[in-house]
Amino acid sequence: MPLGRITLSATLVCAPALAQWLNYPTPGIPRLPDGKPNLLGPAPRTADGHPDLSGLWEPVGPANSSFVGNSARDPQFADVGKEVKGGLPLQPWAADLLKSRLAVDSKDDPDSKCLPLGPIKMHLHPYPRRIIQTPGLLVILFERDTAYRQLFTDGRLLPEDPQPGFNGYSTGKWDHDTLVVETVGIKDGTWLDVRGAPLTSAAKITERFRRPSFSKLQIDITVDDPKAYTMPWSIHVDQAFAADTDLLEFVCLENEKDQSHLNGGIR
Amino acid sequence: MTIQRFASALCIVAPVFAQWINYPTPGTPRLPDGSPNLSAPTPRTADHHPDLSGIWQLEPAPCTANAIQGCGGDYPGAPEFGNIGARLSGGLPYQSWAADFVKNQTSDLGKNDPVALCKPSGALRLLTYPPYRKIIQTPVVIVLLSERDVTYRQIFTDGRPLPKDPSPSWNGYSVGQWQGDTLVVESVGFRDGTWLDRRGSPMTEAAKMIEKFRRTNFGNLEIEVTVDDPKAYTKPWTVKLHQLLVPDTELLDYYCNDNEKDAVHAVGK
Repeated sequence: MPLGRITLSATLVCAPALAQWLNYPTPGIPRLPDGKPNLLGPAPRTADGHPDLSGLWEPVGPANSSFVGNSARDPQFADVGKEVKGGLPLQPWAADLLKSRLAVDSKDDPDSKCLPLGPIKMHLHPYPRRIIQTPGLLVILFERDTAYRQLFTDGRLLPEDPQPGFNGYSTGKWDHDTLVVETVGIKDGTWLDVRGAPLTSAAKITERFRRPSFSKLQIDITVDDPKAYTMPWSIHVDQAFAADTDLLEFVCLENEKDQSHLNGGIR
Repeated sequence: MTIQRFASALCIVAPVFAQWINYPTPGTPRLPDGSPNLSAPTPRTADHHPDLSGIWQLEPAPCTANAIQGCGGDYPGAPEFGNIGARLSGGLPYQSWAADFVKNQTSDLGKNDPVALCKPSGALRLLTYPPYRKIIQTPVVIVLLSERDVTYRQIFTDGRPLPKDPSPSWNGYSVGQWQGDTLVVESVGFRDGTWLDRRGSPMTEAAKMIEKFRRTNFGNLEIEVTVDDPKAYTKPWTVKLHQLLVPDTELLDYYCNDNEKDAVHAVGK
């Protein structure tokens, strides 16, 4: 199955339902005299003075003609190293692994198997996500597979010997108006993009979240994984506020018929 | 796959539980010896409502020699996980087709249970599952995070009405409002094919569910659930789900579909 077919077909299935709950106005957002959301204002702040990252966020990118509706796709979803100068600094074994994954149309993408995607690929996924910010905890709710990720901001330290997991373990603290989040404990076998750029359990991820205006969320991500890469590298992710809508329920395993047809290009 | 074997599958994750268990939950009242004071008063939010936030476990059944759920493990269960009407006198008021369905599924050892196939548990079962759930309360939305399958459910408390024609889903669509110190949550928009327990008690898209959340003190949360589903039941029924606070721990990643090898062996009778 060519890349993108899964995303396409899944989107087709869920797009018609998207019209159902779209008409509830997001409470508490600034509005113009005609009632439309005013997205030009400054970022809101929480009672403790930090920028409030809460809201529904969607990727920014060229609207893809293969998508129904207005889902934008960040090109880094397919190729996380697209904007990295000189490309991803892959260790030789990691370059070989990526090559072997591409040779079979990346058919073993965990996304195709309805497995979790990990923090970086989830930032880039076309479906919306909702951030809920509380004083000691930031939660990201993802439409994709109705999954969540917790980022602890209550001052706790990273665990010394974390249990490897899809999301890892994340702690964050504010550096002025930037939330700096560090993550360890990602499990081996994680894919960073549709192509198959690898991530290992040696990885440390640093994310810098900024909300420079009401409608903009910026995430600068640095990946330091000496097992898979010869040096740390960084990408920039833009997301846009989505007003007057909400997450729908998307369950990857529901009526899943694709996996058995993934043949890696062998007809 | 039997209920017992399903329970043993849950136990596979138990040994890892010791890893992150030693971080003290911030904001927990403590006794002089440092242990959590679970009989302290109900905490309140800035807007003066009871704060339901915390990690909760359905009160396990007393440990007996032939308990369905293993005793002494990290995931002891309550009878409602096996049969949501376990403590109702006379049992659940099934419509005749629903009674037949439960009989067939039970005799088939629950092999068609959606959760055995790594499908969502649905809103009600998310409250009876042995793994923990975490409530995060904000003024406009209350989120339930479920350890089972790292999934969530939203309850909107911003005053919005229920949708008139909801898209059917496993979690349905939930709105809540405070009546005194009780959070009253109404849900509609469930999908046909939802199971409410291991034996297969069904719920249809005709269902309306009302949950009353009351945190009686720091360590106790009472959830009274009424299901009104005239397609599957002859009358509405109500169960009480007593949840106990689980301090000084955190949810772990539990992905049903990760390395899943069970479903093909669930052959039924």
